[in-house]
Amino acid sequence: MSNPVVEASPAAPAVTWQEGEALARKASARTRRKRLALLTAGWAAMFLIWQLAAYYLPFGVLPAPLEVGEVMWDIVVSGAFAENFFASVGKTFLGFVVATAVGAPIGYLMGRYDYWKAFFHDGVTVAGTIPALTYAVLSLIIFGISDLGPILSVALVSVPFVAINVAEGVRGVDQSLVRMSQAFGRSSRQIRREVFVPTLVPYVFAAIRMSFAVAWKVEALTEVFGGKNGVGFQIRSEYQLFNIDGVLAWMCLFIIFMLIVERLVLRKLENRVLAWRPEERVGK
Amino acid sequence: MAVLTVNDLCKTFGAGTARSNRVLDHISFDVRGQTFVSIVGPSGCGKSTLLNIISGVETHTSGAISVTSDDGRPARLGYVFQDPRLLPWRTVRKNMMYVQDKDDEVTRGRVDRYLDMVGLGKHGDFWPGQLSGGMQQRVGIARAFAVEPDLLIMDEPFSHLDAITARGLRAQLQDIWAQSKKTVVFVTHDVVEAVELSDRIIVLQPGGRIYEDITIDLPRPRRQSDPAVATLQAEVLARLEKMKAMTPQVAASV
Ligand SMILES: Nc1ncnc2c1ncn2[C@@H]1O[C@H](COP(=O)(O)OP(=O)(O)OP(=O)(O)O)[C@@H](O)[C@H]1O
Ligand SMILES: [Mg+2]
Repeated sequence: MSNPVVEASPAAPAVTWQEGEALARKASARTRRKRLALLTAGWAAMFLIWQLAAYYLPFGVLPAPLEVGEVMWDIVVSGAFAENFFASVGKTFLGFVVATAVGAPIGYLMGRYDYWKAFFHDGVTVAGTIPALTYAVLSLIIFGISDLGPILSVALVSVPFVAINVAEGVRGVDQSLVRMSQAFGRSSRQIRREVFVPTLVPYVFAAIRMSFAVAWKVEALTEVFGGKNGVGFQIRSEYQLFNIDGVLAWMCLFIIFMLIVERLVLRKLENRVLAWRPEERVGK
Repeated sequence: MAVLTVNDLCKTFGAGTARSNRVLDHISFDVRGQTFVSIVGPSGCGKSTLLNIISGVETHTSGAISVTSDDGRPARLGYVFQDPRLLPWRTVRKNMMYVQDKDDEVTRGRVDRYLDMVGLGKHGDFWPGQLSGGMQQRVGIARAFAVEPDLLIMDEPFSHLDAITARGLRAQLQDIWAQSKKTVVFVTHDVVEAVELSDRIIVLQPGGRIYEDITIDLPRPRRQSDPAVATLQAEVLARLEKMKAMTPQVAASV
């Protein structure tokens, strides 16, 4: 923490607030430019290493970025990408729905009652530390080649996140608002809908954001072994044809678009639903 | 209007534990009809606790309490808390509607009217987080008025507002009370305010006993400039000074 009293030099020239604002704007533009430059440098370094590796490795092992780029372009243009991408995203979100349906009540009980917390706590913690790969394998064993496998694996990975966050949220409910509601004679159903649920929403979003980072990888992994469609399935198909550039192209596309979903779609949705939070409005 | 009966009420927090804390000690009083009662007393003497018990959100340890409307229906309650207690995820207007039983034209009109009254007619669509603390407190006041309660409970509603706003709202409160046949239980630190508003002042002493129950028999509307008001204010203050002298360990507030 910097101490403003120490920092302000006694000889500092007086600035009008317009000048002050202009200075602040310039400073923030400068940091933005610096960050953008570093980001670009990072990507450039990555491509360079890829290019070099492709060049020095034996022919056919690792295709160069440009070749992969061409395949990516073909996949997108042919419409195959949209089709499989939506299949994968659809399964991921269905998995979330299942995870919320199972995890939210568990979290509610854990947050609300100490004895239910004792009952679930260790199970949820253990479930949260099991490697995601295990869930993928488990789903395959249960469902074999089916759309249900990826959905189950996403659900299994996400349930602990949802449960833990919802429990945290329930403990975060402002009791003074509950009392206010009771004083005005609100029913427990109204209190649940107007006080409990809105308190929980940010925690559920946090859970989805955290589990999404793991979930889409598990989803693709499960598809690789037991999918009938989706990006993971395409990766395996290309692999079986020894089509390395196909494998890489699908992988890159998937990574790029999942990052977009994570960074843009989820965050936008969150900002919208949580528009009431004062800090969310800053800078809009 | 409501009938409020408090009989031999005791409240002990953490009864039976090492931190057992007797907050209200054999309190008895009743209020009926169009009466304005103020409860004054030093900080921590149990005023908010008493209001919470009256409104049913806090349990009591022993004794009896009953709140009914004077025609025997369950009484409708309005509560202005010491803090605003708004739902941060609902707009100002939705906060007001939340405590209403109906969602029709008449109700919405009433809600807007009371928002106007506290000077926030243009802020109905704001989030509470966009309002200042005093503005939020005024929403809390409008919310309680807008349910048109039989019993209106107010816990230091004006203490966080500037003097001018507070004076305006005090006048509004008197008008509403005179017109709309309510029973009001009003907690305040401010003796001047208590004398100006009340028919009766119940003085709580530290430890939660009733020290005195003063009837204020002055014509309304009361003016600050009226010498009778000023005389009575001085007299009530003098009596509180006497109470402080008897309980020196809390010589601070009131
Ligand atoms: N939930 C609680 N649990 C334990 N003790 C409590 C609780 N609420 C209040 N108390 C205690 O009860 C006593 C009275 O509190 P209360 O809030 O009723 O005081 P008050 O008269 O309203 O004071 P103020 O004028 O400062 O608002 C205090 O000593 C407080 O510590
Ligand atoms: Mg209080």
